[in-house]
Amino acid sequence: MGTERRTSTATASDADEASGRGDSLPLAPTLASAAVAAAVLLPLVWLVRRALDVPTTELLPLFSRSTEFVANSLALVAATTVASLLIGVPLAYLTVRTDLPFKRGFTVAASLPLVIPSYIGAFAFVSALGPRGIAQRALGVESLPSIYGFGGAALVMTLYTYPYVYITVRAALKSMDTTLIDAARTLKQSRWEAFKRVTVPQIRPAAAAGALLVALYTLSDFGTPAIMRFDAMTREVYLAFNSFDRDLAGLLSLQLVGVTLFILALESWVRGGDPLHSGRQGGRTDDVVRLGKWKLPAMLATAAVPALALVVPLAVLLGWWAAGTTDTGASLALTPSHVFNSVGVAGAAALVAALAGLPVAYLSARYRSKLAGVFDRATYVGYAVPGVALGLALVYLGTEVSGVLPIYQTVWLLVFAYLVRFLPQAVGSMRASFLRVNPALPEAARTLGRTSVGAFRSVTMPLIAPGVVGGAALVFLTTMKELPATLMLAPPGFETLVLRVWAAYDQGYFGYAAVPALVLLGVSGLSMLVIISQEGYDVK
Amino acid sequence: MTNDGEQRCRSRRRFLAAASTAGIAGLAGCNGLFGSGGESTTTSTGNGSGTGNATNGTAGSAGQIGSGRSPFGDRNLEGGVSMAEMPELSGELTLYSGRGEPLVGTLIEYIEELYPDFAVRTKYGSAIELVNLIQTEGQSSPADVFFSVNAGALGQLANAGRTTSLPEEILDFVPQEFRDPSGNWVGTSGRARSVPYNTNQFSESDIPTKIMEFPNTEALQGQMGWAPTYSSFQAFITAMRILEGEDATRQWLNGMQELGVQQYNDEFLVSQAVADGELAAGFANHYYTLRVQAGRANAPIALAFTENDAGSVFNVAGGAVVDTASDDTLAANFVRHLLSAEAQDYFARETYEYPTVPEIEPLGRLPAIDQLSPPEELDLTQLSELEETVSLLRDVGVL
Repeated sequence: MGTERRTSTATASDADEASGRGDSLPLAPTLASAAVAAAVLLPLVWLVRRALDVPTTELLPLFSRSTEFVANSLALVAATTVASLLIGVPLAYLTVRTDLPFKRGFTVAASLPLVIPSYIGAFAFVSALGPRGIAQRALGVESLPSIYGFGGAALVMTLYTYPYVYITVRAALKSMDTTLIDAARTLKQSRWEAFKRVTVPQIRPAAAAGALLVALYTLSDFGTPAIMRFDAMTREVYLAFNSFDRDLAGLLSLQLVGVTLFILALESWVRGGDPLHSGRQGGRTDDVVRLGKWKLPAMLATAAVPALALVVPLAVLLGWWAAGTTDTGASLALTPSHVFNSVGVAGAAALVAALAGLPVAYLSARYRSKLAGVFDRATYVGYAVPGVALGLALVYLGTEVSGVLPIYQTVWLLVFAYLVRFLPQAVGSMRASFLRVNPALPEAARTLGRTSVGAFRSVTMPLIAPGVVGGAALVFLTTMKELPATLMLAPPGFETLVLRVWAAYDQGYFGYAAVPALVLLGVSGLSMLVIISQEGYDVK
Repeated sequence: MTNDGEQRCRSRRRFLAAASTAGIAGLAGCNGLFGSGGESTTTSTGNGSGTGNATNGTAGSAGQIGSGRSPFGDRNLEGGVSMAEMPELSGELTLYSGRGEPLVGTLIEYIEELYPDFAVRTKYGSAIELVNLIQTEGQSSPADVFFSVNAGALGQLANAGRTTSLPEEILDFVPQEFRDPSGNWVGTSGRARSVPYNTNQFSESDIPTKIMEFPNTEALQGQMGWAPTYSSFQAFITAMRILEGEDATRQWLNGMQELGVQQYNDEFLVSQAVADGELAAGFANHYYTLRVQAGRANAPIALAFTENDAGSVFNVAGGAVVDTASDDTLAANFVRHLLSAEAQDYFARETYEYPTVPEIEPLGRLPAIDQLSPPEELDLTQLSELEETVSLLRDVGVL
């Protein structure tokens, strides 16, 4: 990525030189990264082909018209990203570094808003707080401040995307060398000083990775701005598809990719130099921040945001469920196969994303090469393409190659779509972990006779495990709820929970939508619990 | 009809076999049946074991097809052409359905159960998305039949040259106005724009018969509701733009806002609010009122229709054979089955739509199809282009 690596920890400088020395990349991870980057960029082929078919005379009026949409999208992205950082970082700190009670429960609750499909979340907020909504009736008032527009869109967007920051920062805090904080404290630094000078630099890459995910998700989401009636760029893409103009939709999607590149550049610039690893990687003490009299307020604060994000849609879903399932629509009933299918594809996507992301994250964290940076950034491009456009692009690819590789309308293409959409979630999380591993440690293992693979397995892997698990968890949770690409690419007859939710919701059979939606939340919540209880990486 | 009896028994036996092997399937199959009878709150899940219900003498909801059962009293199926008199279906068919599974799932299942070596692979999606999908798939599209929720998407697929024209004998099931002039698609059921009103507050004569008069009707002040995000509503405004022009439509929208029209998220909610007395009247597709009535007997709600204007647009759902169909005859014959007496009766009783085959009557509480007066010079395929309508709705502050 061409940024200068800065060494702020004196003890690390020797090792740093050892790792920063090479612009010569190791062959195997480089080839693997190149293949992954090429694969996830493939869908752009279709977008470019479509865009090239737009008559050039239409281009100028088009771009002048869309400046307002672009400005709107950027404003929404900025507001959501900042708000997510302000929520996600303190939540992560409270649930990792303090003696907050019920940490595990709070961790699940804080991550869970991520599993709520944005259209359900937004719809629930409109039902609850919109005109003639639940709140208005309950309060018996004539009108409430409007939920529609920029404020509402930013609120809903933040509530359902801040977990990106939370999960990545949490992983960073978990694997942070806490002895550094002890050292700072010994040197008579205050808690705040220690936080600012030790913890912040340590979690900065993770916070940046999480914030980038928030920003690009906000950019690519169609459902929330549409329901909250805010004119974002995705709306134009959607309108183009709805007037059957796939050429224009392709061009507008590329415009979104352009904005993505701008945000990626901005993020690189904001992030500045990459830190930072301590001399004694993995050092841990049991020292946590004692909350004392702040325990109760901290618990309330930690509970408040997830509660708002979860209670509103849960209440609406339970309301639908209680209202019952009416007349027609019996074919909507849920079977266990829906759950298995959902968990199966989401699990496969998480596994594939972790494997494919590993070489990319490794190279980009370890080597100061431009190429490694390009591979890393390339994985983010597909993430910002709206799901509908990405779905059609893969339909095109799938049918084009069907002679050689019959993957169209199979589960494999679906998993590939999830990989393209969500790979950066795994890469971002893993990259942040790699950055915290002191290269001196695997070097030492090599000195002691391990092969490079062996050193990676026995030294690096345990240290980055939280980041790998965190990244895979993100992919899992978002795949569970992904709708537009699933709708487009699921083989006929392959039913998942989210397709059930959509089938019922779309036809106004809310009673039937409630059950699969609640099961979706339940299964995702359980998966979170499993993931968290598997975290056996508190290396002493 | 003896045929119906036989079929019912056959599918019931099959249902019993399925239910005994998989209780959950029985549970699934029974919801619709029990749901169609009583209060909506008593009809949710939890009907116990599937076999238990089935032995009560009722098959799954697929078994209801052709039975004449309906929430509004049973009726006999007369006229039309039964599936039994149609060419048999065999092989595998890929159906792209823009109509939702809750509405057509049981019908497709029923047709599958009728023929032992016939199977349908159904891909559900929004009609517009499926048209984009077929076009992107190009000549490798696996789609055999496209089943659309409106005429617009069918017209779009036909315009893109991606349909194969249907045989005359299939087109002839329905009157001219419910099919493509060049024979590329055929309407299978219809839905009318309507004005549901609360019968405690209004009588039918209180409702204007011209849509353009609504804003000037004092009695409606603060009493009306609509769902401007809903696609059928937007198609209705598109029709108004075509028929009355941009300025008149803008004035109408402004006038309705001055009338204090209240906004809902969908037209089922509008219809429910009318039945609750929260609204005196609203704009909605006709079948939502019947859905409300099916859920609660004696709800004080009835339907009024405007005349020969955008407020009385009659749109059709329909089927087309995709040009990539692997077997044109099989695909066309599947579409033919959607025009069978059983399927048409299903649309009438289960989705509360208008059958497009004249021999099959709509539900008795609906006016006959020739009592409606939809605008004559309107091309239905124009109604799916909603972009400018949405811009207008935003412009005047409705959206």
